[in-house]
Amino acid sequence: MTGQNSNYVILFRTVSYALKAEKILKQEGLPHKLIPVPKHISSDCGVCLLVHTDVKDKIVASLKGKVDIENIRKLTD
Amino acid sequence: MTKIKIVDARGLSCPQPVVLAKQAFESNEQVIVIVDNETALENVNRLGSKLGCEVKIEAKNGKIYEIHLMRNVDSNADQNAFVTSCAAGQCRPGPFVIVIAGDKMGRGNDELGYVLVKTFLHTVAEQAKKPDVMIFYNTGAKLTVQGSDVLDDLKKLESKGVQILVCGTCLNYFEIKDKLAVGIVSNMYDIVEIMSSAGRLFTP
Repeated sequence: MTGQNSNYVILFRTVSYALKAEKILKQEGLPHKLIPVPKHISSDCGVCLLVHTDVKDKIVASLKGKVDIENIRKLTD
Repeated sequence: MTKIKIVDARGLSCPQPVVLAKQAFESNEQVIVIVDNETALENVNRLGSKLGCEVKIEAKNGKIYEIHLMRNVDSNADQNAFVTSCAAGQCRPGPFVIVIAGDKMGRGNDELGYVLVKTFLHTVAEQAKKPDVMIFYNTGAKLTVQGSDVLDDLKKLESKGVQILVCGTCLNYFEIKDKLAVGIVSNMYDIVEIMSSAGRLFTP
């Protein structure tokens, strides 16, 4: 997944939620990547999912009702 | 007059030529490194570009190469990075090595440990100061084969000049040697040599 300009990060309230979401996306074959939450977003040592714009909506839809998403942020740099 | 330092690195094996070249370059504007094999040529060449110098290579008889490294006045950024990397005698000369001793980071919970090693490698690949060498052994070797979740990050590191060494015994033990997707198969001799000559070495 290159060109972070067109990427989003999906943030969760806990690490377990992020891992649960990762499992669901893996099963559904939706491309994503577990990364540390970018420094400019939070100083917590948390993890989040990096997803490409093209699949963002699909991913959000597939997590709906299964895992609570705390926030979705567009990466600008 | 500009001082030219000549480093004769013939007969020396990796990473010695690079280490000597780097040392010589710290106190000289121009350095000529003489090497007798292509690996050393490539490594010193890469060091030159990393330090932002002008690199000229002269091939001599019988696989002997003279590599001229000249400090490039225009490339301040790179030079500063170089100066900080070995400033104030804080670090010993020698490569910066990261050892990945398993496919988990820390002990206690394996699921968490796997998450941590993935995010660790992603962060190493993103940060400006990259290691010179990364060594993967035991279950760490599993991170370098097809289907690994961190292949993108490792390939990115490799494309930036990071040498990725994977323990051959380990690949063999897990029967995944034919699936190696990044780095080169290495052995205990190289691993011990690089670890012993490291200026800085850590394992997450």
